[in-house]
Amino acid sequence: MFEVLIDQFWSLTIAGVALGFIYVLVSLGYTMVYGVLRMINFANSEIFMWGTFGTIITSRDIFGYTQTSAPATGPKLALVLISQLLMSMAVAGLTAVFVEYVAYRRLRAKGTNRLATLISAIGISIVLSELMRLLTDSRPVGSPRVLEKIILGEVWGANLRLDTIVTIFAAAGIYFLLERFVKLSRMGKAIRAVSMNEDAAKLMGVNLNRVITTTFLVGGLATGAAAFFYITVFEYTKFNIGFTMGMAAFTAAVLGGIGNIRGAFYGGLFLGLLEVYASAVLGTQWKAVTVFIVLVLVLLFKPNGLFGEAVQTTRA
Amino acid sequence: MASTRKTLLKLDNVTMKFGGVTALNGVNLEVKEGEILALIGPNGAGKTTVFNVITGVYKQTSGIVDFDGISLGNQKRYQVTALGVARTFQNIRLWGDMTALENVITATDVHKKSGLVGALFGFPRARREETENRERAMEILRFIGIDEYSDRLAKNLPYGVQRRLEIARALGTGPKLVLLDEPAAGFNPAEKVELAATIKRVRDAGYTVLLIEHDMSLIMGISDRVVVLDFGTKIADDIPSVVQKDPRVIEAYLGVPADAS
Amino acid sequence: MKIRNYWNLRDFGANLWENASRPKRVAIALISIGFVALLPFMGASFLATPIASYDAVLVYPVGMFVLMSLGLNIVVGKSGMLDLGYVAFFAIGAYTMAILGTTTKLNTWEVMPIGIALSMIAGVLLGIPTLRLRGDYLAIVTLGFGEIVRLVLLNSSWSKGPNGIANVPMPPNIGPLKFELENQKVFFWVVMAMILLTIWMIRRLTVRRPGRAWEAIRQDEDAAELMGVHTLKYKIWSFTLGAAVGGAAGVLYASKNLYIAPEMFTLNVSILILACVVFGGIGNIWGVVIGATILGYLPDRIRFISDARLLVFGLVLVIVMNFRPDGLLPRKKREKAIVKREANA
Repeated sequence: MFEVLIDQFWSLTIAGVALGFIYVLVSLGYTMVYGVLRMINFANSEIFMWGTFGTIITSRDIFGYTQTSAPATGPKLALVLISQLLMSMAVAGLTAVFVEYVAYRRLRAKGTNRLATLISAIGISIVLSELMRLLTDSRPVGSPRVLEKIILGEVWGANLRLDTIVTIFAAAGIYFLLERFVKLSRMGKAIRAVSMNEDAAKLMGVNLNRVITTTFLVGGLATGAAAFFYITVFEYTKFNIGFTMGMAAFTAAVLGGIGNIRGAFYGGLFLGLLEVYASAVLGTQWKAVTVFIVLVLVLLFKPNGLFGEAVQTTRA
Repeated sequence: MASTRKTLLKLDNVTMKFGGVTALNGVNLEVKEGEILALIGPNGAGKTTVFNVITGVYKQTSGIVDFDGISLGNQKRYQVTALGVARTFQNIRLWGDMTALENVITATDVHKKSGLVGALFGFPRARREETENRERAMEILRFIGIDEYSDRLAKNLPYGVQRRLEIARALGTGPKLVLLDEPAAGFNPAEKVELAATIKRVRDAGYTVLLIEHDMSLIMGISDRVVVLDFGTKIADDIPSVVQKDPRVIEAYLGVPADAS
Repeated sequence: MKIRNYWNLRDFGANLWENASRPKRVAIALISIGFVALLPFMGASFLATPIASYDAVLVYPVGMFVLMSLGLNIVVGKSGMLDLGYVAFFAIGAYTMAILGTTTKLNTWEVMPIGIALSMIAGVLLGIPTLRLRGDYLAIVTLGFGEIVRLVLLNSSWSKGPNGIANVPMPPNIGPLKFELENQKVFFWVVMAMILLTIWMIRRLTVRRPGRAWEAIRQDEDAAELMGVHTLKYKIWSFTLGAAVGGAAGVLYASKNLYIAPEMFTLNVSILILACVVFGGIGNIWGVVIGATILGYLPDRIRFISDARLLVFGLVLVIVMNFRPDGLLPRKKREKAIVKREANA
């Protein structure tokens, strides 16, 4: 049962770290919105899914790559990859802003109860995924290979594949940029102020609507970047791909202490590794089950997350 | 005379910290059976925190809360209520979509035995308890003087009635000790006089009252004893006329306008 | 304001009922039940559905949707908890029927209590860790749970994996009433009886202690607990009763469909049922019944919708929540009638 895990420990670990960084970025979409709204951004999974399509459309329809064309090299490679990344971020960021505008804003202005907002958010995520289902006729969509999966070298018997390495370094870079943004920029400070104390922030002259829109945007951008890396590694998407990703990233966010950006980092990496190891031991079909069990266990025994801030159990 | 009475509630060296902030610092407090004890202090002195520790909203960092011989430290909130401690809220928290009567009936449920199965099949005990609760709740509304509003939704009641309904709901749980958190907030002088009479009636009916209030004339008029908190520490504990002259109390309030709320 | 009163179906119904004497109420109830019971005979009218057979549509989706919506309404409407994995209980009921029906001699009515019990146990097991937490966590955990149940069914050998279970037995005949595939009137009447039973149960509980406890929890959970309501207990009860209704619906569904497979129990079902509850009016039994009837029936009547069914339902959720959060028939507000009476007096 454990042979696979022991034999391929290091290659699994590398794959797990890459997957972990993708989770880190998607869980930012959950954790940041939760920070300011104290509400789960239910549609984040579909924002991710739209981002994956943004990535594929860029290479397939703008740059004309097909399943049979040769991978790009040199400056062209950089151009295509960066365009894909930016497109994915743009699509996801705009979708996130759209979600906030349609599903959250009106209800927030009315001050209706949380249940209504939750249902509205679920509604919008169904709309997003169904729209894509109808557009793609429920079919999976493959991504033409832009980045050749060259093996760069070997460490402890594990292959270092180019796409995995790019994912790890670029995703880590984006994460640190975002963290800097929230820590240092004026807007980032406003976001943190709102998540600590909304009323006080309002009194200090923070424009709440702008802060919330920005938070959705930043969360969407992170999720969009994750979508790009996901496509680079897995080269495939489908209208319902968001569900599993959403569950996992949300679990990562809770694991790290939702509302806490650093927590998303640890939670995402932890979950990425756990998922890869668990799949090696139990088989990939039980991946989602493992994630779910982790989520329930964390909520049961450590609802504040392993690394961070409190999940408020009451509204007192 | 008051000192010979039985102690109902005792806070022994209770400290409550939130992160680095100490909200209560070694507070000792005794509430005697049948008295009206007022808890006063400037804003942020920790008055509501005392209520929250007693009712189990917060778990104290250290110290003992003893109610009628039982330590409240490990009790769940609904158990604290069942033991005989009821409270009102500074910011009214009635169940707005229920009628005034239903608000009180829901509170009276706490001492009843029948559960969901009994309700479903209409067991005799469940039916009997329903009638008992309804009558008891109506009685309480009459006692507080708001029975004419019994069928109105709580959210549509006038402000003053809502405040009094909060007291009625607390009495509904059949408490020994009633904690009133600024029951006169937002009242005009005439309403305050009426409220003072109501609180006295509550005490005379056998309830013990612990009261947070800012209005000094109200407090001096009805309380048997006054405890003053400042920055989480008790600075005075005596009969109203003595507390009023206590230099530390005056100092604590100095610079704070008399009508601060 | 005045004009709206004429069109206010809820007040119209409430007035009719409140002003009626006891025999008159019995008559109203019997006539309504009789009318609904005759619905399967109206297949030749404009109600006819183009593709599926009309009486089959009345059983599934319409009847089943109404039943499940009533069950989910106990959880979402009465106590204000968002359960997005409701399909899991439906699946547990259905698989209990399928497995016991194909491997033992138990018939549908004998499996029914077992299916209900298993759903309730699942409800308790899921409820204990999650119901302590705030609402949005419950939503996402139940969402995951629904999907996990499906994945387990898909990947396990005892459930025959993706192939599903065929040859589930039909219910045995009740006296002269025969269960048939081509003619599903009897199925409809059974669903109807289950719906009536559920409505009876909800009404009973609503006016007594459990209903008050749920109502208090829904409106202000902290205040409820501080007023002595054992919130966790009542939340678990609510969750479990909802699960029981879902399980019962599942048992009957398996026995009607004769074949079940994991793909029938996707997240979509949970969302559809939620949309039914929200569309009709969260918390209001009659609103839920009407909402589920419309949303269950329309996609079969209008072919365009059936392709984009889920898209439409998603839009329903967003639009209703933003513009008419109380749904078609809002929660009953007793005060109105009382105030009106006072004004007239």
